[in-house]
Amino acid sequence: MSDATASEPSAESEQESADPASRSRWWSVSASRVVLYGALLAIMGVFLVPIETGLVTSVKTNPTGVSETLPYLPPPPEYFTLEKWEQAFDRLARGMVNSALYSIPATVLSAFAGSLTAYGITQARWKERYKALLLALFVAGIFIPYQAVLVPLSRFWSTYAPLEDWLAVLWVIGIDNDYAGLVELSVTHIAYGIPICTVLFRSYYKNMSIEMVESARLDGASLRRVYRRIILPLSTPMFAVVLIYQFTQIWNDLLFALILVSSESSEAAPVTLILAGLGQSLEGADFPLRMAGAFIAALPTLAVYVMFGEEFAEGVAS
Amino acid sequence: MTGLALDHLTKVFQDGTDEVVAVDDISLEIGDGEFLVVVGPSGCGKSTTLRMVAGLETVTRGEIRLGDRVINDEKPQNRDIAMVFQSYALYPHMSVRGNMSFGLEESTDMPDAEISERVEDVATMMGIGDLLDRKPTELSGGQQQRVALGRAIVRDPEVFLMDEPLSNLDAKLRSQMRTELQRLQEDLDVTTMYVTHDQTEAMTMGDRIAILDGGELQQIATPLECYHAPANRFVAGFIGEPSMNFLDMRVDGAALVSDEFTYPLGEAVRGSLGDATDVVLGVRPEAVAIRGETGGEHGYETVVDVVEPMGNENTVYLQFEGTAEPLVATTSGMRRITEGETVVAHIPEDAIHVFDAPTGHALHNRRIEDAERTDITLD
Repeated sequence: MSDATASEPSAESEQESADPASRSRWWSVSASRVVLYGALLAIMGVFLVPIETGLVTSVKTNPTGVSETLPYLPPPPEYFTLEKWEQAFDRLARGMVNSALYSIPATVLSAFAGSLTAYGITQARWKERYKALLLALFVAGIFIPYQAVLVPLSRFWSTYAPLEDWLAVLWVIGIDNDYAGLVELSVTHIAYGIPICTVLFRSYYKNMSIEMVESARLDGASLRRVYRRIILPLSTPMFAVVLIYQFTQIWNDLLFALILVSSESSEAAPVTLILAGLGQSLEGADFPLRMAGAFIAALPTLAVYVMFGEEFAEGVAS
Repeated sequence: MTGLALDHLTKVFQDGTDEVVAVDDISLEIGDGEFLVVVGPSGCGKSTTLRMVAGLETVTRGEIRLGDRVINDEKPQNRDIAMVFQSYALYPHMSVRGNMSFGLEESTDMPDAEISERVEDVATMMGIGDLLDRKPTELSGGQQQRVALGRAIVRDPEVFLMDEPLSNLDAKLRSQMRTELQRLQEDLDVTTMYVTHDQTEAMTMGDRIAILDGGELQQIATPLECYHAPANRFVAGFIGEPSMNFLDMRVDGAALVSDEFTYPLGEAVRGSLGDATDVVLGVRPEAVAIRGETGGEHGYETVVDVVEPMGNENTVYLQFEGTAEPLVATTSGMRRITEGETVVAHIPEDAIHVFDAPTGHALHNRRIEDAERTDITLD
C-alpha cells in the first residue's frame, strides 16, 4: 500500500508533462515573463533616457549640432566635440572647490552630531517621556521646508550672527570676504541635517542589543567610552547611508546657496550657483555646455556613492 | 571577596498612572563565595532583582550592600560586579581577545602585557585558548557562552551575576555547562547570584535557592529543604518534577475528608494543623506507592488513566472514581501497569504535606529524617 501511494504522484506528473494542456501552461508562463521583462526594460529606458540624452547633447557643437542632428542619437563626426566639457570644467572648477569646502565638513559633522544625539535618546538612560519629546522635535525638524526658513535664515546671518564681522581677521590676511558665506552655508546645513541624521541613527541604535551596552557599562565603561568603543565602530553601515544622503543633499542644494552667497560671480560661489547660470546668454541657451556642466557637477556625489556603496547596502538592509 | 545583602528591596515600575510592583520587599543575604540560585516563573521579579544589584535598574526602596558598602546609587561601572547575560551580549566587532580584555581595559589601569596574560590564562582555563583571534559570529553557541563566562571571570569581580546564562544552549550542552559552571564557581569561590526559571538548574547548582513568585520571596533554603520542607504550596508545586499532587480536603475530627475519600491522621500531624478547617493535602508522586490489593489505612482504589514510560521510571496518572483531578505517581520503570487497570494507591502518612487552603502556608511538612529513612528502607 505504501508503495502504491509513493508511486502515484510521479506517474501523475509524467502524464502531465506529456499532456498538451500543460504545454500551453508552459507557454503562458513564458508570455507573462515576456511582459514582465518588457515592462522592466521600458522602465529602465525611462530612467536612462535623460542621462543618455544629456550625454549625447554634451558632445554636440552649439548651436548647429543641436539644431541639425537627431535628438537622442550620438552626433555624426562633423558635429562632435569635447570642447564643451573642457569649457564646463574650466567654469565649474572654482565652484567645485567651494562646494567641497562646505559640503564635506557639513556632511561629516551633521552625521556625527546625528549619531551622538541618537545615542543620547536611545541607549543613554533618562526619562523616556523627555526622550519622546525630543524625538518629536527632531521629527518635526525634518518636515520644515527650506522655503519657510529663507527670510529668518538671512536675517539670522545678517543681524544676529554677523560672521563677516567676526571673521574679519581672515579678510585681513587676503581671503575674499565672500567666504563667510561658505561658513554660513556649512553651519546652516549642519543644523538642517541633524534631525534627519538623528532619526536615521535612532532607528539603527534602537535595534542594537541593549544587553550589549549594559554589559559594556558593567565592564566599567562610561557612557562616553561605550559610544567610542562599542556604538561608533558598529555604526559604519549607518554612517555610509547618512554620509551619502547628506552629501547629495548638501552638494546639490541651490536655495541656501542663493540666499547666503547669492552671486555666481562671487569668489566663493558654490558649484550649483555657477551651474545655474552656465551657458545662459542673450543669444540663447548653450545646451551642450549646460549638459556637460551638469555631469561634471554630479561626479562627486557619484564618487561618494561608489565609495560607500557596499556599506550603504548593508545599512539600508538593516 | 565579600558577601551581598539585599535589605527590604522593592522595585515599583510606573506604567502610565498604574504602579506595578515587580519586586516586593525582598531581604536576603548571600554569603562570601556562596552560589545562590534565584528561581521562579517568568515575571516573578527575579531578573529585575538581579538588574538592581547590577545597577541597571534603580532601586525604589530598600538597600543593596556589597560587604559593608551600600551600592544603591553607585553607577554600574563602579560596582565591581560582572554579569553574564542570556544573549551573551558579546561585542560583535571585537575578537574573543578584545571581548575579554575590554573590561580590564575599561575598569583598571593594568598594563597591556598583564591584561593579555590574564586573558590568555582564563581562555585556557575555559578551553577557548585557540579561539582568541576569532570574532563572536564565527563561534558556536557553546563557545560564545564560554567567552561570555570568560569575560566575566577575567575581571575577577566581587560578585558574579548570571541571568539565565544556559537557556540558549541545547539540552545536552546545557547539562554539560551546568556541571562545568558549578565546578568553576567552586574553584573561583566568588559570590554568585544566578537567575533561572529552570528548577533543575536551581536544584543542582545552588548552595541555596531563593524562590520568587509575584515579586515576593517565597522561601530561601538549601535545595533539599525546599524539596522536603517547602514553606508554602507554591514552593511545593514549583520544585520537583513531576510536581506534587494537591488534594483539597476538609479537616473533620482526626481525619481529612474530601468527596472521594477520607484520610485518617495520626496525632502528631493532627496537632500541627491547629484549628485550620480547609486544607490542601500534598504528596509527591514518588511517595505514592501502587499496590495490587487494599492494605493499611491509607490505601485507596483508583483507576489507571495514562502511563508515561520514561525508561528508568513510569509516570502513572491515577483517577479516583468520579473525579477528573488525577493523582500522579511514579513507579519503577520495569513495573508493568496497564491503562484501565484498577490499583490501590497508598499514600503513607510520613510522606504527606498539609497546607492551609486560604493562605497556602505549610501546616505540616514531611520531616527530612523520615525521607532519609524511607530511602534507606527502599535500598
